[in-house]
Amino acid sequence: MTTQAIIETVAGSGGKPAITYRLAGDRCLLVEYGEMEFDLTLNFFVLAVDDALRGRPADGIIETAPGFRSILVSYDPFVLATGDLLEHLHAVHEGLGAEQEMAIPSRTVHLPVAFDDSQTRAAVARYVHSIRADAPNAEGGTNVDYIVRYNGLADREELYESILQTEQWTAFIGFFPGLPFMFPLDPRDAVFVPKYNPTRTWTPEGALGLGGPCFAIYPVESAGGYQLVGRTLPIYDVQARNAIFRENPLLLRAGDRVKFHRVGEEELLALFEDVHADRYRYRIEEGVFEVGEYLEWLPQVKDEADERRRRRDEAAAVTPVP
Amino acid sequence: MARSLEVLEGGIQTTVQDYPGRRGMLARGFFPAGPMDHFAFRAANLLVGNPEPAAGLEVTLGGVTLRFDAGATVAVAGAEAEAAVDGERIPLWESRRVAAGSQLRIGVSQGPGFRIYVGISGGIDVPPLFGSRATYTMGALGGFEGRALKAGDRLALGGESGDGTPRRFRPSARPPYSREWEIEATRGPHAAPDFLTEEDMQTLFGRWWSVDRNSNRTGIRLESHLFQWARTTGGIAGGHPSNILDNSYPVGAVNVNGDLPVILGPDGPTAGGFICAATVAHAGFWKIGQLRPVGDRVRFREVTVEEAIALDRELDERLTVASLESV
Repeated sequence: MTTQAIIETVAGSGGKPAITYRLAGDRCLLVEYGEMEFDLTLNFFVLAVDDALRGRPADGIIETAPGFRSILVSYDPFVLATGDLLEHLHAVHEGLGAEQEMAIPSRTVHLPVAFDDSQTRAAVARYVHSIRADAPNAEGGTNVDYIVRYNGLADREELYESILQTEQWTAFIGFFPGLPFMFPLDPRDAVFVPKYNPTRTWTPEGALGLGGPCFAIYPVESAGGYQLVGRTLPIYDVQARNAIFRENPLLLRAGDRVKFHRVGEEELLALFEDVHADRYRYRIEEGVFEVGEYLEWLPQVKDEADERRRRRDEAAAVTPVP
Repeated sequence: MARSLEVLEGGIQTTVQDYPGRRGMLARGFFPAGPMDHFAFRAANLLVGNPEPAAGLEVTLGGVTLRFDAGATVAVAGAEAEAAVDGERIPLWESRRVAAGSQLRIGVSQGPGFRIYVGISGGIDVPPLFGSRATYTMGALGGFEGRALKAGDRLALGGESGDGTPRRFRPSARPPYSREWEIEATRGPHAAPDFLTEEDMQTLFGRWWSVDRNSNRTGIRLESHLFQWARTTGGIAGGHPSNILDNSYPVGAVNVNGDLPVILGPDGPTAGGFICAATVAHAGFWKIGQLRPVGDRVRFREVTVEEAIALDRELDERLTVASLESV
């Protein structure tokens, strides 16, 4: 029998985005917010809803998992009927204020990064040697120059400065245990790059990658498709060799702001050892992200961000895609 | 001394699993893991008198030998395969006592079916991780050292459970095995008319799909198919119309990755930027564990959520002691 994937839509109003409820099997509902736009405000709304859902648990909701502009709600249909789940979600949505008034629990997590280090270069070399010798994104044995070229940046330093200047917003965790999907909060620092084609079979732990507009840190050695810019510290450890991982093997969670500072490769390797020997203490500040303040600030940098985007679009148009 | 068993032959991929696996971790990037065929797994546990959460073994294809260092009640269920205790053939879907020192050998399955489950009284006693003993192969965690078993591994067993009486899972309560599988699925989350055309959906639910050789616990890859698509590109999310801004995936989703539909398995990626056109019903999910790469074919049968839930209730009713008979 035929059914519809979309079971209900609610128009946006009162500073809140439109909501689309989609069937995702008999045990999950996918709740989407707004339109398919690359708008971080939608993610702020997602995290505010997710927080509110945790504050108002309903019998039968097993777990919720945010995406960029959606939440996947897993539930037990024998405890909570789909209709009752919808009612509960309506009530939670109605209880929320407008986007401008939202305050999201948000830590600032400071992490060192060594750009274009020998481990990420080794991953690129291995790719060129064993998978694709003529990959335009691997020219010169690094992905960094390709990112610079694709975005029309003056040089590597301009790329590094943009990564260091902004805070990265952790929109959600997924794909693989502990992997953060991060986006620059300062639109002037937005960079964009196509992914590997085909993908890479090896990436070092802690590698910082860029795919499309999204930054990610690789939690463990793994395959991957993002262009590599450097390497940071461990963000995931089930063995809990460092105190930070004892209660939770994941360093990052949705809503965290990651701020990178630059270190040399030797220092990074020493810090890696310090993490494993439980000598290193991760620097994390508790805090709240005021969405209204952020939205008020955005227009001040809009012209500059638009100009950079034009420059990037021009460069991208004449840069080969992998 | 604690009860244990020793692996003499591990086969191609034998893992410790429990049902329903690791729930509540999706937002941290963990799929639930757990048995790919939860029906045969649960039946094997039921036969040996274990409580439902007890851990057992998932054997892919076969070629496994286990030696029990203590007496135990064991049951083998799932794909057609030759099973023997100390050389004596034993039927599947039946429990029996094995003495300390006995060897259980599971031959290579010729099908139908692809995975074989071993229930052992007391369950496999590996340390739980985030509430489950299931092996999550993609995260290399849980189960026994986060990996498939190999010769020489020694697994601790929990304290004896059940009364050791041999029992049989009634043939009428067993699901039919085949080379052609009809799998119940609901439409969406991303279907027609906004992502695919109605004709695409008719194709998705109407045709037979061959199972690709590169299928495993992370997913069942089907055949590439050129859908019509309701949009020309994925817009800001990417060039291909299968691209969307990344979201979390439900287990059992039929994820369309470019032109390739993949059924997301229990160890799959939890999130990504591709649409999921349909989602396998929980009551039909066990079948994906029995799909044989190369040769088996799948057709999705569209059901409503209400029908899916009703099927799930029937399945739960079959997985009770009422389905057991004495041997």
